[in-house]
Amino acid sequence: MARDHGVIGSAAPEAARQSARVPWLLIAAPTVVLLLFFALPNALLLSASFVKSEAQQLTNEVTLDNYAFLFSWSLYIRAFIRTFIVGLSVGLLDVVLGYPLAYFLVRTRSRWKGLLIALALAPLLASVVVRTYGWYIILNRFGVANDLLLGLGLIEERIPFMPSTGAIIIGLAHALLPYSVLTIMGSLQGLNTNLELAAMSLGASRTRTFLNVLLPLSFPGIAGGFILAFSIAISAYATPAILGGPATQMMATAIYGFMTQLLDWSIGAALAVILVVCAMTLAYAAARLGAREGAL
Amino acid sequence: MSPWSALRTVVIFVYVFMLGPILITAAVSFNASNRSQFPPRGFSLQWWQRAFSAEWLDPLVFSFKLGVSTALISTALALPLAFALTRYRFPGRAALVALTLGPLMLPALVTGVGLLQVLQYAGLREYLGFSALLIGHVIICLPFAVRTIAISLQTLPPNLELAAASLGASRGRTLWHVVLPLIKTGIVAGALFAFVHSFTDVNLSLFLVRPGEQPITVKILGFLEYGFAPTLAAVSVITLLLPLGLVAIVERVSGLGDFIYGARGRG
Repeated sequence: MARDHGVIGSAAPEAARQSARVPWLLIAAPTVVLLLFFALPNALLLSASFVKSEAQQLTNEVTLDNYAFLFSWSLYIRAFIRTFIVGLSVGLLDVVLGYPLAYFLVRTRSRWKGLLIALALAPLLASVVVRTYGWYIILNRFGVANDLLLGLGLIEERIPFMPSTGAIIIGLAHALLPYSVLTIMGSLQGLNTNLELAAMSLGASRTRTFLNVLLPLSFPGIAGGFILAFSIAISAYATPAILGGPATQMMATAIYGFMTQLLDWSIGAALAVILVVCAMTLAYAAARLGAREGAL
Repeated sequence: MSPWSALRTVVIFVYVFMLGPILITAAVSFNASNRSQFPPRGFSLQWWQRAFSAEWLDPLVFSFKLGVSTALISTALALPLAFALTRYRFPGRAALVALTLGPLMLPALVTGVGLLQVLQYAGLREYLGFSALLIGHVIICLPFAVRTIAISLQTLPPNLELAAASLGASRGRTLWHVVLPLIKTGIVAGALFAFVHSFTDVNLSLFLVRPGEQPITVKILGFLEYGFAPTLAAVSVITLLLPLGLVAIVERVSGLGDFIYGARGRG
């Protein structure tokens, strides 16, 4: 399958490579679009984070105050820590839930295999907003979880499950699970079943085979799935906005606040830069761990 | 219990976790009471009736138009780009790869904030709404389209192109008559992934909307801040069924298969 060959990243096949000239005609339009609407805005964002702004207009004053401001308020420091904890928990949960499912989907001989894979990926077709709404129905004070627990006589008063950091973690883990399943499936698919059979025929127990053979060999997929879920979770807006509240600010909701309510765009830019640095560090770690996708 | 049936039990639990909330949302949309209750009390189609009012249909149609335009433009940009990146070696190629995949690495939220600031500082605020959203969506969907098309170009045996060339076909003719028909599925898949990614985005769109010009996801999110109603459940089901139906049709007609793996990326 092509995804193992580094489609964009690697060199083109020798035979088809017809010239070393820059194919201007082919790349001109997309390159201009990307430079103008992707590179430029991000460069501007980076510079805006070092400039004082007033009423959504930049001044000429170069300053580090925007960053200093963020690191001097416990509100934002707590938002950083919360974002980090949420990312970590979501990554862990998704790997723990995703691994058995991925293993099952790769190895099952069920005739429903195709349908089961489709069902595992179908949630990606729904917006995160829609999927988080399902968790609102379950977790709110008058929701399914409370009705159920009351009905079973396990609780006497309704419990406010949300807004809370826990609700955000569950919602995001749910939203991002298909990504980890896909990534782990990718690494399991390349593994020969005979490796496991060989280990067991040599007397290794199932547990030992799993710990000493399967787990190390599928580690790139596990690391990849973890980091992918982690990095998407830290920049997610919708789920923390729906299942959280003012007391559970995360970086994304704080950026939105600065951009639309507090209207301090320079601090918003600084916060966005910090988020990018975190996401990039994670992407770099993923690449170093060998979890990079072929076509990525 | 054998290890395999233990695994099966875990897998069933994971499926319930994955699909439960979506099924509950669907069930709530037929609720007779005006709370988001589950199990639903009574049966009623009133929320579905409300979901088909202009208030919800307008942003739904808006999202659809935006998704289709995004898919067309990003595929048109991605096709030559993917071809250049897979078939040529040239100075600056690595930088162009990084630039192409950049929107995938960078949180869409940040791209949205960046675009909003550029428009503001350049005095182009009046372009907020459809135009700004279209630009932003093309940027974040482009990597998906490029990757998918690149996969199909890569799996194409280079001999085919050489054969066509050795038989005297010009490059243009080879492209049009040999390469394009063979990567058709890849192009369709790329366009489809771009559409789905655009249709479900909220992180980028948040910053680029204007009153009356907002995609359905932003509309739902805004509505959630004021209150919940089963209407939302009905609207949610509609926004889920639309891309699902589209994917099913394309899968029927041309097959997506391996490209699913190419679609992996940011949410």
